[in-house]
Amino acid sequence: MVAAPILDISDLWVSFPAYRAEPVRALKGVDLAIPPGEFIGLVGESGSGKTTLARAAMGLVPPPGIIERGQVLFNGRNMGQIEDEARRAVLGRELAMVIANPRAELNPVVPVGRQISNIVFYHLSVSRAEADRRALEMLRAVRIPDAERRFAAYPHELSGGMAQRVVIAIALACTPKLVISDDATSGLDVTVQTQVLDLLKTMVAEKGASALFITRDIAITAHYCSRIAVIFAGEIVELAPVATFFERPAHPYSITLLAAFSHSPELRLRWTRPPEVDAAPIPAGGCAFAARCVRRRERCLAEAPLLRPLAGGRSVRCHFPVDESVT
Amino acid sequence: MSALLEVQDLVKRFPLGGTRKTVQAVNGVEFTIDRGETLALVGESGSGKTTIGRCVTGLIEPTAGTISFDGKPMGRGRDIRSKGLRGRIQFVFQEPAESLDPRQRIGETLGEPLRYLGVTRADRERRVLDVARRLGLADSTLDQFPAELSAGQQQRVGIGRAVITDPELIVLDEPTSALDPTARAEIVDLLIRLQREFGTAYLFISHDLSTVRFLSHRVAVLYLGTIVEQAAAEALFARPLHPYSVGLLASVLLPNPRLKPSSAVTLEGEIPSPIDLPPGCSLAGRCPFVGERCRTTRPPPTAVGPAHYVSCFHHERVAALDRTVDHFARFQQESNRLLSVGADGN
Repeated sequence: MVAAPILDISDLWVSFPAYRAEPVRALKGVDLAIPPGEFIGLVGESGSGKTTLARAAMGLVPPPGIIERGQVLFNGRNMGQIEDEARRAVLGRELAMVIANPRAELNPVVPVGRQISNIVFYHLSVSRAEADRRALEMLRAVRIPDAERRFAAYPHELSGGMAQRVVIAIALACTPKLVISDDATSGLDVTVQTQVLDLLKTMVAEKGASALFITRDIAITAHYCSRIAVIFAGEIVELAPVATFFERPAHPYSITLLAAFSHSPELRLRWTRPPEVDAAPIPAGGCAFAARCVRRRERCLAEAPLLRPLAGGRSVRCHFPVDESVT
Repeated sequence: MSALLEVQDLVKRFPLGGTRKTVQAVNGVEFTIDRGETLALVGESGSGKTTIGRCVTGLIEPTAGTISFDGKPMGRGRDIRSKGLRGRIQFVFQEPAESLDPRQRIGETLGEPLRYLGVTRADRERRVLDVARRLGLADSTLDQFPAELSAGQQQRVGIGRAVITDPELIVLDEPTSALDPTARAEIVDLLIRLQREFGTAYLFISHDLSTVRFLSHRVAVLYLGTIVEQAAAEALFARPLHPYSVGLLASVLLPNPRLKPSSAVTLEGEIPSPIDLPPGCSLAGRCPFVGERCRTTRPPPTAVGPAHYVSCFHHERVAALDRTVDHFARFQQESNRLLSVGADGN
């Protein structure tokens, strides 16, 4: 029997009202389920809806945005309709988030050890001394050298990599069931990035939690996730096990993401649709990717493709996927 | 033929307010760039990459050392941005959105450098149109404001503003780090094309090693204000010989789960503060090969191959490491295979 997913998003539509215009639909019918213990990557470019999805998962769609349709179930709770009080009990305790800019997340006037201990004190109803002890333990666990001294340090006294470790310590202090990382390492140098990602992966795995890695760098998902979801214009266009995805990507957009790493400008250009002068405008109602797709045909402009399963646990939203092989 | 740019023994220190300490940002850096060549400066934050770029452009004055452009040493003090050099060296900034004037139309931004070179208005307008076409910007873009453009288009404008004066050298300070991978690849293609057409030399400053590999002829690896290794790009990526270069390349993640970052050298911790540097090798505190001599003496650059220099006492031990295949080359093979099928709809 398959265990119930820890996060279950079904047919989620999120929109932002616009002045005298159609609302902007940031998410258009997203389905995504994360079983316990899984590491899933969510990849897409800026503006594709990645962060909106994370905010919706936490029940924090920023106003004036609304959930138009569908629901988000976290551990059985409907995060779209949760009361503030109940949500506060969930966030930081069972569901934690690590964001891109650690200095913006940390309170600049509170010592970092205290910031970890605060969340333990608030959620786990332990004594202050016990919370401090847990905080110090977490600082050691995220391998901050000289943890006793750093406990009293302020965020500005730490390097970016150290600050990100503190944020991870805060996220994991109450052993959450799901950790969402929103481009957590994008501001870090490469040597520090791998250290921080390794650490995050080990610690989340040790606690048996699940993780959602949101990133625009597809390379991260190749090494830290078991499944990958590619999001384009608010829709998941491909969902596949990592091993299959990087071996045989199915959606043309997935290939353009991989093409960005190619050494050969000629091959990259093969997957870029040349700008057309005097082209007829792309009619609404077709595939959202049609305007940029090199494999576009008549049907793509007329009919929006649905996310449909392929063999090998893959799904793709495309009439003419690049790879349809069965094994 | 002499090099276009020659940097000798460049040192830059910044005084630290309220103390007698200094930040030793650049400590004796030497390199040259030929016409039409790209030299990449790679290193982590705080390694001095941007400071070197700013010295080369004359935006800040070096503490010591000489920078010669086209055979002539650059001026000092008030002469640092001499009239003769104007427009011949240009700079492209990291954050496209922040480096463009939000209240200036794109056309004006592109034409601005020409105003200071005394180009007439009619000529300016002609050259702005010409540059916009070369950059792949629609003519209507010229009347827009930066906020109306995507990050990739904004960076095109940043590059256009640099190339409009027909410079011989462009300093590119992390021009792609704020962009999505797709936009990044487009900017890289644009830079390669412009270089082929006009023979512009680039000093390409970056911490993004996969982009460096697309774009550079030679690579200098910078650590705490010192060049630790300098070589042709293929040589460095295939066989780095400084422990830091090995560690740096091993931490690059490639989008292929079977090409795991190798762990021949693991660099512990992070880059230390450039205030009060210890006397020996700057990597001594993080290096698995560290010996007694490394802590007291700074290793000099040693030639280990044609135009390949390494500053490490133990480079022979690094060379003897049992290394797996060149991940970058394998990745390119895989990627060629993936991209070669299906583009035309079959």
